[in-house]
Amino acid sequence: MAPFIVVENVSYTYGARSAATRKPQTSGASGGRGTTGSAALSPSTPALHGISLEVTAGEYLALIGANGSGKSTLARHLNALLIPDEGRVLVAGMDTRDVAQHPAIRRLVGMVFQRPEDQTVATVVEHDVAFGPENLGLPRDEIRARVRAALETVGLWDERDRPPHMLSVGQMQRLALAGVLAVRPQCIIFDEATAMLDPAGRHTVHTLMRDLNQEGITIIAITHLMEEAVHARRVIALHAGSVALDGPPDVVFGDAARLSNIGLGLPGAAAIALALQSALPDLPRALLTPEALAAALQKYAPAATSQPRPDRTHAAPRVPVDGGAMPVPPDSGPHIIEASGLGHVYMRDTPFARRAIENADLSVAESGAHGLVGATGSGKSTLLQHLNGLLRPQEGTLQVGQYALHDAATDLRAVRRLVGLVFQTPENQIFEQYVGDEIAYGPRLAGLDGEPLRERVRWAMDLVGLDFEGFKDRFTFALSGGEKRKVALASTLALRPQVLLLDEPTAGLDPASRTELLQHLHRLRQTGVTIVLSSHQMEDVAELVTHVTVLANGRSVSEGPVADILGEAHRLADWGLEQPLASRVARALQAQAWPLVPGIVTESQLVASIRRCLELTR
Amino acid sequence: MSEFEFQRFVTIGQYLPTGSVVHRLDPRTRLLGGLLLLLAITLTPRLSGLALGLIVVLTITVLARVPLGYALRGVVPSLPFILFLALLQVLLGPGSAETTPLFSWGPIHISVTSLISGATIPPRFGGLILLLTILSASTSTTEMVLGLERLLRPVGRLGLPIQDFVLMIQVALRFLPLLAREAERIAKSQASRGAEWGTGRGGLLRRTRQALPILVPLFLVSLQRAEALAMAMEARGYRSDGRRTSMVALNFRRGDYLALLLSLIASAVILVA
Repeated sequence: MAPFIVVENVSYTYGARSAATRKPQTSGASGGRGTTGSAALSPSTPALHGISLEVTAGEYLALIGANGSGKSTLARHLNALLIPDEGRVLVAGMDTRDVAQHPAIRRLVGMVFQRPEDQTVATVVEHDVAFGPENLGLPRDEIRARVRAALETVGLWDERDRPPHMLSVGQMQRLALAGVLAVRPQCIIFDEATAMLDPAGRHTVHTLMRDLNQEGITIIAITHLMEEAVHARRVIALHAGSVALDGPPDVVFGDAARLSNIGLGLPGAAAIALALQSALPDLPRALLTPEALAAALQKYAPAATSQPRPDRTHAAPRVPVDGGAMPVPPDSGPHIIEASGLGHVYMRDTPFARRAIENADLSVAESGAHGLVGATGSGKSTLLQHLNGLLRPQEGTLQVGQYALHDAATDLRAVRRLVGLVFQTPENQIFEQYVGDEIAYGPRLAGLDGEPLRERVRWAMDLVGLDFEGFKDRFTFALSGGEKRKVALASTLALRPQVLLLDEPTAGLDPASRTELLQHLHRLRQTGVTIVLSSHQMEDVAELVTHVTVLANGRSVSEGPVADILGEAHRLADWGLEQPLASRVARALQAQAWPLVPGIVTESQLVASIRRCLELTR
Repeated sequence: MSEFEFQRFVTIGQYLPTGSVVHRLDPRTRLLGGLLLLLAITLTPRLSGLALGLIVVLTITVLARVPLGYALRGVVPSLPFILFLALLQVLLGPGSAETTPLFSWGPIHISVTSLISGATIPPRFGGLILLLTILSASTSTTEMVLGLERLLRPVGRLGLPIQDFVLMIQVALRFLPLLAREAERIAKSQASRGAEWGTGRGGLLRRTRQALPILVPLFLVSLQRAEALAMAMEARGYRSDGRRTSMVALNFRRGDYLALLLSLIASAVILVA
């Protein structure tokens, strides 16, 4: 059988066609060469570099790679949104360079993009799904039938009359999928389609991918989450526009060294297995899911009777990512943030009024690290924006440091100097041309100038691991995704806030950038800065915070130490969340009578506890 | 109310399904009727005509069950501009030959005529904005596209790119609220870094200076958004030269003829009143 998609020796450079008059030898003098993610703006760096691969009909393929490795560029070649500069792409035998074939190609290969709001074209759900079939010129009855079938598949038929912007993010992403399904494609590409979703939303999309694949549809899933990639039957890792690894998940994720070289990591379960290798040399290599890991560890389980249950007072050792000791402040310390009964309605007194939070409470200890978790739309961002006075409390009271924010006379500028907020994907808001100017913007407004300003910028850049001399004169647009995120973080840190608020700080980062960012945040914690973090990634929450507040439908429904909150699998599921991977493995092991310490939430805690159990039995 | 809620003032381009009589009309009726009233309000020379026009528009607002306060809020952002225009008209507007100026100083002549023509500007612009708000609140983009396509079909036979034009309008309408939301995000992020947004402080010059750091990212973000949207539409098989069909059927009923007749009469009366 002929392969469904053939990619033959394809190279592609953004801007190459439009810049045809440009002298080919003038390479980027700004030092932008070799940086990732800047492909769209530095024409000298090819986004794809002589790449070749084949996709067979009915495959379930995961495409992974660091920020800027060419994943999305490759995906856009597969349905003729981009045409190769060199080489060729064949879809079911049709060459994408032939414009006359484009309608037929796009009928075969559909695509779900990362941001749901960029994909809706209509103001009514049903009409949006009809867009694709309408473009095919189908008769009205056929369109109606397809729209209904597609909406029923994704579970949105009851919402057909609503405007898309009234849906949750997870629902909007399913709407985008319905729009693709209504065209009845043979292959669907998901371009980081789960990146904006909460665990429950991600789970729904995964189930849909699997079901569609079982119906014979080819699935190509682009992802930064290695845990997502292990569900595929084939994994392709890209690096600098070429294929670095290609094979079944157990083969690709068996090459830890190579993965780490190209900015990727192991799935959580595999990383734990690798860390246990020294203690358990005969542990099988390919353990990619928590279930597989727990099953493989069963035969090493210490006999339950020979071991006394460990004392409950022994809390799990907290080992931060960088290996240093982390202070766990007492719960009862002085609180720097105290919110009580907060409520907020967006677009109040308009027909679009929407309640975001209601009766929300939050207390954050001075110099503590606090996590806000909850499904998308549960009010995390709204609550965070109250904490530095971007939103005024409409209901309830809010005390931050010495400032009462419910009091209209409070100087909001002073509050914002005390509390810095880093928005989700902050790199989109960079506006200065040079890195140094971008970071200096805040301190300059605060009146700093000359040498003190320079020192402040240097200090902030040090904190996030950007070399002052090396980076201050770099163009902001030529940075990689991870570097841009660091600049955005430094530009807030440059104001020396005592409290740092972070909204989904690791969303959209590749594994290497994520680990590095978490390390910098750890270092920051040790300088005494209070951190409040909202995240969908329970692993990030587990790594970074000591206390957690759970939001559900705008209300604070639970609050407590991280191990207590993340330990309750069933309640987390009710809130649209899930346990971090380490906790899930720990729970499975405890069911096999492993005498692990209670309250395990991070991978390093799990590894340490397993090793300890093994040492005791020897 | 938060100073950052820019969206609050963007009423044009927001579809508000209330299921009213106006919403149930054929989109072509709304577009044609709207166009007639638009022309009448733009062209009527007298205050009496404008007053009548405003009454008609307000009546439609009530019929469409669009909250009046909300609809009027859309006028607020353009208010300084409207008042400025009115002032210019009063100061520099042409006085007619037979009236003597009440006040003269250099090139500035204030006459009864210029006062009256200045006074017509706020109701004229206010009425127009209100009309556009009602039109977009009662017409989903799908209806708008379909209605415009049918209405412009005769022009399309002359070889003009109707589908591209209609698409342009659709995208522009969809973009307005989106841009407001992006501007809000950017302003908030800069306020977090010490800019004077949302503190209720800062003079005009300072506020103008702050606009620049917002405009640069807003421009970049809107380009990104436009590209993403174009890509998503292309991926879903949209071609400007393609033959499209539609899931929604248009049918012109008795109520539509009646509504069209009424707007024709209203427009005529506004023009001659």
